[in-house]
Amino acid sequence: MDTNKIPRLIVVTGKGGVGKTSLSLAITKHLHENGVKVLYNSFDQITNEQLCERMEIPCWEMSTSQSAETYIGKKLGTDMVAGWIMKTPFFKSLFNMIPGLGMMILLGHIIEKLQNDPDLHIVMDSPSSGHALTMFESSHNFKEMFGKGMIVDDINRMHDFIYENNRLKCIVVTLPTLMAVNEGMELRESLNSLDISDVSLIVNDAIHLAKELSSKSEELPSFLSKKIEMEKEVVSEFEGQFEKILPHLSTENEIENIKSLTSHLEGLW
Amino acid sequence: MVNIKPIEIFCGTGGVGKTTLATSRALDLASKGKKVLLITIDPAKRLKQILGLENTEAGKIQPISSEIFPGFEEKSFSFDALLMSPRATLRRMKWEAGTEREFDNPIIDILARPNGGMNEIMAIIEVQHHLSKREYDTIVLDTPPGKHFIDFLQASLKIKQFFDKSFIEIFKFLGKKFQRNTEKEGTGFFAMIVSSGVKKLLKYLQKVTGEEFVETFVDAVVAIYRNRDAFLEALKFQDELRQIENSNWFLVTSVEQHKIDEANTLHNKAIEFMHGDSYLTINKCLRRHLETWNPTDSDYLHVRNSMLDRENKIKEFAGRNFEKVMDFPEVLGTSPAQHVSELAAAWKES
Repeated sequence: MDTNKIPRLIVVTGKGGVGKTSLSLAITKHLHENGVKVLYNSFDQITNEQLCERMEIPCWEMSTSQSAETYIGKKLGTDMVAGWIMKTPFFKSLFNMIPGLGMMILLGHIIEKLQNDPDLHIVMDSPSSGHALTMFESSHNFKEMFGKGMIVDDINRMHDFIYENNRLKCIVVTLPTLMAVNEGMELRESLNSLDISDVSLIVNDAIHLAKELSSKSEELPSFLSKKIEMEKEVVSEFEGQFEKILPHLSTENEIENIKSLTSHLEGLW
Repeated sequence: MVNIKPIEIFCGTGGVGKTTLATSRALDLASKGKKVLLITIDPAKRLKQILGLENTEAGKIQPISSEIFPGFEEKSFSFDALLMSPRATLRRMKWEAGTEREFDNPIIDILARPNGGMNEIMAIIEVQHHLSKREYDTIVLDTPPGKHFIDFLQASLKIKQFFDKSFIEIFKFLGKKFQRNTEKEGTGFFAMIVSSGVKKLLKYLQKVTGEEFVETFVDAVVAIYRNRDAFLEALKFQDELRQIENSNWFLVTSVEQHKIDEANTLHNKAIEFMHGDSYLTINKCLRRHLETWNPTDSDYLHVRNSMLDRENKIKEFAGRNFEKVMDFPEVLGTSPAQHVSELAAAWKES
């Protein structure tokens, strides 16, 4: 695996329930097994630290509040004052009211970590659709808001990293139904409009590719053949739009599911 | 039989057909002669796909005719739908309070963009606005997916904290002078803070952000504070939700995903807001198909069993946490309107 070709930050997004977490973990595992220095990050959502530990998937977690406190501490040159500021009800509720601010600082932290270690790659299990857009849009919004100063310098450094070629890749996970694919395409367009050019679509849970159901003499029940027929229609209608189509997996549990997904990721890089 | 209440709230882990199901409920209630408003605050704006609404119509109430739904074409009725737009809500607030000039602040403007990050707070304000007008028999509310649904529920709590604690703190810094002066003049606030000397908090902020920002920021805070009544009005929403005679809760999940843990987490966090009339609705169930499928091939059998197993695991979870469980079949069709129609028919059966 040529590590130079692998994006430094891989952001996995899509609407909820399409298997973002499993796929993010599988991508991390796949890269890790191929000797790439990589970390999984859940972007302060539901943590999967135990699952990562059990599956030996390297992960790094940081909460938005931790991130903000560290950042303010660095800017002021004192962690104590930063801690004090973040504990004031005013700033606490300010961060609550404007989640985009916390998201931007956390994204900044992730990028800083990548800048400090040129060999490192991070797979981010990103918030779903609209909230992923908030995450990426926030830095532009706050840049406009602050105008100039230390924060704007930091935002510019973030943007320099994000918009440099081959550094950031977004993967939009979707399902093989017309509605889901349309939504995925819509999300890709929105990301493109934020100048994020490397956005690919991965279709998950395709029944027509389930290996257990392939080339058998026994006839399938009508609901399944109908489902398969519909999936195939969607896939041919959007031919060439998908980077990968992953099969439906009849696995017993989450661990088996991630292991099996990992084996289907050959050739992604 | 599900009782009809002023608020029906649909929440869930996302990607489970929550918006489609909420729309089908609106259609079902409207077909029974009820006056219904469907509100979606889902940032993916899925509703527009289902109803053929365009982006430009966000923030405006649109009547949706039954004609677009297969099987309902003959009967002529409609329900109202609203795609949330933080900007439109803000515009209405300005207009109602006569505070256009104060709210004309770059920070507030940026935050009210569609992905600006104030969606949840503005949504609560909008929902409460429609509730208080009492123009509808039922408001069907589609909430943001997953963790963001909790953000939504906590939005009014956040508003309360913001006005309670943070402003008390600011007052402590500034004393009575602030109250007296801001009643007359909002923009002079910054000068006043500087003149009053020891405003540590804002000085630290200034060090990081520059002077200009602090000035705009203080103006924004003053503008929000002077319009606090509109924000605080939204707190009533929380109380309404808690009352069993006012609301039905539907936690939507689907068998497509094995996210039982996530549903569990959501349920545990949401439980303080819920009451006895909470339903777990399991969408996209294949059970009826799977139970009549008896393959001889062992691979087929494995697929069948693993699919059934997923549905059973969800049911097991459901049995532990919810008294009332409903399941909805997977609709095999490509038209979103057809999905809504078939699910609306399923509401009648349930």
